[in-house]
Amino acid sequence: MDVKDLNKRIKTLEEQLIQALEEVESQHDLQQVKSRYLGKKAEISQLMRHMKDIPDDDKPAFGKAVNEGKQRFTELIEAKREEIRKAEVERKLRAERIDLTLDAPDFTPGSVHILNQIVEEIEDLFIGMGYRVKEGPEIETDEYNFEKLNIPKDHPARDMQDTLYIDDEHLLRTHTSPVQVRTMLEYGGEKPVKIICPGKVYRRDDDDATHSHQFYQIEGLVVDETTTMSDLKGTLLKVARAMFGEDREIRLRPSYFPFTEPSVEVDVTCANCDGAGCSVCKHSGYIEILGAGMVNNAVLKSSGYDPKRYQGFAFGLGIERIAMLRYGIEDIRHFYVNDLRFNRQFR
Amino acid sequence: MKVSLTWLNNYVSLKGIEPKTLSEAFTLKSQEVEDLFPLVDADHLTIGKVIDCRSHENASSLSVCDVDTGDATRQIVCGADNVAAGQKVVVALPGSRLAGGMEIEKTEIRGVESNGMICSLNELGIDEKYHYEDGIHVLDPSAPVGTDALEYLAFNDTVLELDLTPNRADLLSMHGVAYETAAIFNRNLSISDPELITAEEKNQVDISTETDGCRSYYGRVLDNVSIGPSPRWMQARLIAAGIRPINNVVDVTNYVMLETGQPLHAFDYDRIGTGEVVVRDAEEGETFITLDDETRTLKRGDVLITNGEKPIAIGGVMGGAQTEVTEGTSSILLESAAFEPRRIRRTSARLELKSESSLRFERGIDPQRTRYALDRAASLIAIYASASVRDGVQYVDNQAKGSKPVDLSLSTLNKVLGSAYKSSEVRETLNRLRFPYEEEDGLFTVHVPSRRQDVNTYQDLIEEIGRLQDYNALPDTLPTTLSTGALSARQKMRRRIRRTLTGLGLDEVMTYVLRDKARVSDLTVSDADPVELSKPLSRDRHALVLTPLQGMLDVAAYNKNRKEDRLHIFELGKRYGLKAEKERLSILMHGPYRHRRWRKTPETDFYTLKGVLEALQESLNLPSFTYERKTLDHYHPHQTALLKVDGELVGHIGKLHPEYASGYGLEDVYVGELDLDVIESLRRTDHAYAPISPYPGVERDIALLVDEETPAQALKETIAASLPKRLKQSHVFDVYTGERIEEGKKSIAIRLTLADPQGTLKSEDIDALISKVIEALTKEHGALQR
Repeated sequence: MDVKDLNKRIKTLEEQLIQALEEVESQHDLQQVKSRYLGKKAEISQLMRHMKDIPDDDKPAFGKAVNEGKQRFTELIEAKREEIRKAEVERKLRAERIDLTLDAPDFTPGSVHILNQIVEEIEDLFIGMGYRVKEGPEIETDEYNFEKLNIPKDHPARDMQDTLYIDDEHLLRTHTSPVQVRTMLEYGGEKPVKIICPGKVYRRDDDDATHSHQFYQIEGLVVDETTTMSDLKGTLLKVARAMFGEDREIRLRPSYFPFTEPSVEVDVTCANCDGAGCSVCKHSGYIEILGAGMVNNAVLKSSGYDPKRYQGFAFGLGIERIAMLRYGIEDIRHFYVNDLRFNRQFR
Repeated sequence: MKVSLTWLNNYVSLKGIEPKTLSEAFTLKSQEVEDLFPLVDADHLTIGKVIDCRSHENASSLSVCDVDTGDATRQIVCGADNVAAGQKVVVALPGSRLAGGMEIEKTEIRGVESNGMICSLNELGIDEKYHYEDGIHVLDPSAPVGTDALEYLAFNDTVLELDLTPNRADLLSMHGVAYETAAIFNRNLSISDPELITAEEKNQVDISTETDGCRSYYGRVLDNVSIGPSPRWMQARLIAAGIRPINNVVDVTNYVMLETGQPLHAFDYDRIGTGEVVVRDAEEGETFITLDDETRTLKRGDVLITNGEKPIAIGGVMGGAQTEVTEGTSSILLESAAFEPRRIRRTSARLELKSESSLRFERGIDPQRTRYALDRAASLIAIYASASVRDGVQYVDNQAKGSKPVDLSLSTLNKVLGSAYKSSEVRETLNRLRFPYEEEDGLFTVHVPSRRQDVNTYQDLIEEIGRLQDYNALPDTLPTTLSTGALSARQKMRRRIRRTLTGLGLDEVMTYVLRDKARVSDLTVSDADPVELSKPLSRDRHALVLTPLQGMLDVAAYNKNRKEDRLHIFELGKRYGLKAEKERLSILMHGPYRHRRWRKTPETDFYTLKGVLEALQESLNLPSFTYERKTLDHYHPHQTALLKVDGELVGHIGKLHPEYASGYGLEDVYVGELDLDVIESLRRTDHAYAPISPYPGVERDIALLVDEETPAQALKETIAASLPKRLKQSHVFDVYTGERIEEGKKSIAIRLTLADPQGTLKSEDIDALISKVIEALTKEHGALQR
């Protein structure tokens, strides 16, 4: 066998190998083909035995040809190996094909109650302006709920609030104003007060679409030597805009509360018609949102603040009303029934 | 207060002021306007005379009338029983519009032509409560045919209804409204004094008072009273104000009350009998028959008007049947008095006799108008009931009548309002209010007239000036007070709870705290007497809850009824007590949690809720809870535990007893509750840092055979105690009872993670540690290693 024959033989083997590889489908088959064409007993390995019959001059070429042949065989096998591996991966991935449109498990977060969301929003607004958030008991005494707020027994203003009494002395607070008194007494009449007071309040009312015996109120109080009604007006404008949009305006109308003097009701321009008048605002262009005023001196006195030195403003608003106006909620009872189809709309 | 604009126009000219402008001005400067409406919402009404009236040929209940309406004689079909020839009537001509929008047209009624309609008061929109009439309204024979019927009846009026705040008692009178209107529009005001002509006979009633419940009492006697209807204009004004006309004497007392704000009462003088009036406190249990023929039981504190022997009226609240003015009355005693507002308020509230009079007495009347009103009423009764007024007035009067001086400086005004008003603006406003004042160096001493009982302090004056100037012209500023705003630890914690639980998919609810008394103690760990209302709103709204869980169960039932089965809810509520209100976090879970939709989803069980509580425990940085088995009413006897930390009660967790849950149409309900006070005290507010050990931990599993009742927690505690400093964590990874396990025993497998922070644990060290653990477990729990 000369080099020429050798090359021819290798070529033939290579063709056989290529053909054999074409039929290979698994790594196992490949291993068998590999041992058949490259193993110790493989023909190409046996070809080296002819070396001794080769003239010395041709020996290097002969050796090179065998080695190069082996090299090519290896490459062919490895290429096939890679092909099989890839095919196997593909097959495996294909088996993992899924319907991407099926539903995911339910990881939806729950909803914070809408009234609490609004309270938190108002709290954050006021914390940003330097207010503290104060709270107090819902079971109050007549003294704190009424008398210290300039509403003595038999005062006609008590008609404005139908009270749920527990006994002669105790009642369910009708507003969060007693927290203001409690805070002023706690502060001892010596330092400025700047607080908001959120909380549940109660009135003797039959529940219907617009009345609730239990509702949520938030009040604000600022007492300092320099607190003015203009400060009140500017503050309420901020609240109205935060709640109903930056293009809202407010208007103040005279009103009466025993604990403030002067007292005002505050209207915001109707967001539905922008003040032009519509059914939402009963064609007035305005919607009443809260009551406010300058703290009555009688209240300052009963709370340990000297009216000669201090003056202040207070305001109170109903959270349900804000929510109802903002979202067009038609029935106040929704807030307390907790139909989850309602609650979950406010995630 | 319903204000007739025709009437108001008598005192202050409304020329050039549209009703709508008046209404808007009142809203912005004075009092909220409830309504603005025409007294009669109809037009083209004419006075006609019925010339002939005959039966309808096709309908016996109808009449066919020939009616002279001035311009023509029209045939009109009328259905009223009381129509008759010769009557003057109100005719709605074709083209006219009646109350409620009804349009009148020429028509045929059962084959007979009808050219209009003869009207009843109801058809004009005058409510039945203002008249007794059934049928068409028959006018006075002198009514001029062909003229405007509304004008003749004085019904061509517009009514401004004010929603008064309780402080503005002065606006419960036309005089007060006139002062207010004059101030708002800066107009002239004309209120004249009564012109009274008296007879020669002297007024000799003996009036005395024995109670401080009566501040003043004026009386006049009028003779030869001729009881009859009051004039049309007076009736119309009463109707406009919402008061039913009765007869000339009663109408005058009401009219003058509306005019002045001073309630009046007329007694049949002869039926008083004694010629004497003694005002005294009622005696406890005394009875009296009022005008409405009801027997009233009185209490001390009620003010009684007596004839010296017997009661004749409950002062300020209601007169007596015995001395009522009737058609046969000839002499009357007119009373104009002032009573202690609080007493009237208490009496009228107790007897449920709220009236126009009691309302005015309660809110306080102008002491200066008591005598005025008496004379005014006497003069009107003299005219409209042809009475003669006896000479002189008998009275007692203990009221201060002068004006009150109130000081207000310009600087205080501007300091409170944040305004920059000038003296001239203050002067102008005080002039408009007709408040006399002196001014010196910016200090105003204002003499507030007695008609304004609500203005007593400088703050009240600031309000008067502020509102009449314009609140809306004030600048928009913010308080200059420097302060830091922040939430308290509790407030922050509540927010964290909300975020954690909603993050876990739970919905927050808010429920009523007033509930059925029989149930408010259910589901609590410790009993307490619930706080109850003295007068419950209803059976369901009677007592304050001792746990939010009560309301949450209703929420669960409500939603379950509406086919919602994922009920994972929480509420931050309270346990209400008279001494203390303890904050509670309550959680209720039922149904598939984190639903996997098309794959199998495990139902919520005890461990689901436990996992939620422990997630919260981690989120709030709390020490681990221990679970102490407990039997509680309405809870599952074997799936309920108290939660504790270091022996302190933190809350509880449990499955509701199936029988209790089924009462709400529910099953498999798990609830938990935490005490926020305790939680807050246990929170670690800072984070304890420890470097991460470079030495890997080693895991070892142990399998034990223990009594079935041995809690995993106890085994873990023993493990932790026996491996101080070496145990990183332990957890149960398998629990098995049944085949191949002895009855009453269970197999439990626990994986321990061991580590030495100083180095890698050697195999022999680990073996020693495990033997130590097994030894301890055997000793304490009789555990056998499997």
